[in-house]
Amino acid sequence: MVQAVMTIAAEDEAPRVKGRSRLMRSPQFSSFVILIILLAVFAVADANFLSPLNISNMMAFLPELGIIALGMTLLLTAGEFDLSVGAVFGLAPVVVMLLVQNGGVDIGVALLAGLVLCISIGAINGLIVTKIGISSFLVTLSMLLVVRGAALYITQGFPLKSWDQPGFFVTLLAGSFNIGSFRFYTSLWWFIGLSLFAIYILRYAKLGNWISAIGSNRNAAVARGVPADTVKIWLFIATSVLAGLAGMISAFRISAASPVAGTGYELEVIAMVVVGGTALTGGRGTILGTIVGALMLRAIRNGIVLIGVPGLAYNIFVGLIILAMLILHALLQKNAARG
Amino acid sequence: MMQDVLRLQNLQKSFGSVRALKNASLTLREGEVVALLGDNGAGKSTLIKAISGVFPVDRGDIFVRGEKVSIRSTRDAMDLGIETIHQDTSLAPDLSIARNLFLGREPVNFGWLGVFAPLDLAKLRKAASELLKRVGISKKLDADALVSTLSGGERQSIAISRAMQFAAKVIILDEPTNNLGVEETHGVLRFVKEVRDAGHSVLLITHNIHHVFQVADRIVVMRRGEIVAEQTVADTDLLTVESIITGADMSALLKEARAK
Repeated sequence: MVQAVMTIAAEDEAPRVKGRSRLMRSPQFSSFVILIILLAVFAVADANFLSPLNISNMMAFLPELGIIALGMTLLLTAGEFDLSVGAVFGLAPVVVMLLVQNGGVDIGVALLAGLVLCISIGAINGLIVTKIGISSFLVTLSMLLVVRGAALYITQGFPLKSWDQPGFFVTLLAGSFNIGSFRFYTSLWWFIGLSLFAIYILRYAKLGNWISAIGSNRNAAVARGVPADTVKIWLFIATSVLAGLAGMISAFRISAASPVAGTGYELEVIAMVVVGGTALTGGRGTILGTIVGALMLRAIRNGIVLIGVPGLAYNIFVGLIILAMLILHALLQKNAARG
Repeated sequence: MMQDVLRLQNLQKSFGSVRALKNASLTLREGEVVALLGDNGAGKSTLIKAISGVFPVDRGDIFVRGEKVSIRSTRDAMDLGIETIHQDTSLAPDLSIARNLFLGREPVNFGWLGVFAPLDLAKLRKAASELLKRVGISKKLDADALVSTLSGGERQSIAISRAMQFAAKVIILDEPTNNLGVEETHGVLRFVKEVRDAGHSVLLITHNIHHVFQVADRIVVMRRGEIVAEQTVADTDLLTVESIITGADMSALLKEARAK
């Protein structure tokens, strides 16, 4: 298990015991336990929490932030992060829909233009971070302002006309279907598919070995011939493209694009990733943890509203729960280091 | 006569107006340990960085087994059989021993998938265990253990065995005993001898002259970007070497002191 931070090299333990205890001590496992506890608490506190309607609601939101979180996990594992994802989430659908509504461009071409835009934003982030050597915090913070500013300027600050053109792409990204009394969106398939792909990349592919090595000790990876800068640039591009994809999914689902959509998502996404057990300092990433983290933040946001925490107070609780999770991870890791 | 594995001829390298290397020439033969000594700023690290492909030299030639080569990247150096082990930048602590051993040269299935190809985990683990066994540390270490759980000496041993595994002709050790305890230092030095006995050539960069006399066959001393002395260990002694490094005649000073 690559992601298992808590490896114990005790010689006298039988391999099986070691395997199990490694899993139980892994950060994604402790996050998973907390998630179950939270779900149980919310379910007991409010019967509607597990109602089909509420679960359907949570599942509709989950993929949008979750998809960005997958890219962010890989990026964080390689030792960088991206604060411009929320802004890209807003800009991509604004550009695509403006091209169609005002420019009369075909939707396919417009989506392609949106893809090129996201690739460019990611590439610029990556190139400045790796080739000029400015920290990703500063580069992507500036990019956040540029991208958000661009979205506001081209729309003059107003949301676009609502989207009234159903079609192949809308169905592909935001179609919905019913299973019993649950209503799901196709975006859930995207999230599941992309999650499986990300798990494969990080744990089983050669690329994942490189990503972890770069985040763990960049010089060592470079000395072994790993093209660290190239890998990082592509991860910035992937994260940006995923943010744009999530933005499109969201805009199609609610049939509207707004220049302020996705405001604050960058921090919410980073919170999902680190709550899941990925190290902010790089080298240790877990996609399973990120999925748990995404579920957890969604459940918290939904649950505390349901149990009657006043709307204006709920960020207090979200913040405190995140903090508690991080303290837990830190203590577990300290404990592992001692053992 | 043993064959020359690595020959450096009149290497020159400047950084702006600083001439870090002026006409450095050096020969490394098969199965010998050569110690590269020198004070800070003498040009030792510039020299090994040039050999290991971190940056190209401005002028001069590098020969590997008599053939002239050009080393433009760390990859080039590795492909030529030159493995460099830096002080503490050799391993990724969050990766397992097995994954570290094959970092950058991972065995994969479906190689046509490029970087997306799946690692051949069975082969990876098997090769790692065999390697650990061969270098005699299998009893203590599990190939799946994270490097972050290892001691400094164990990490050096892993890094050195990785170099051996790829049948490196030349293994460059940059301050391998820095930050190690006494016992671990001896472990690493013993390992260096084993590496030599297995037929590899070692270029050992160190500050510690005592270690040099324990493992090296020859000593090369650098000062201000130049190689100022080259001697077999048998033909010299600690004081002489020390005086060459600092440029002061230590034995004369000692005689003087005794006379008083």
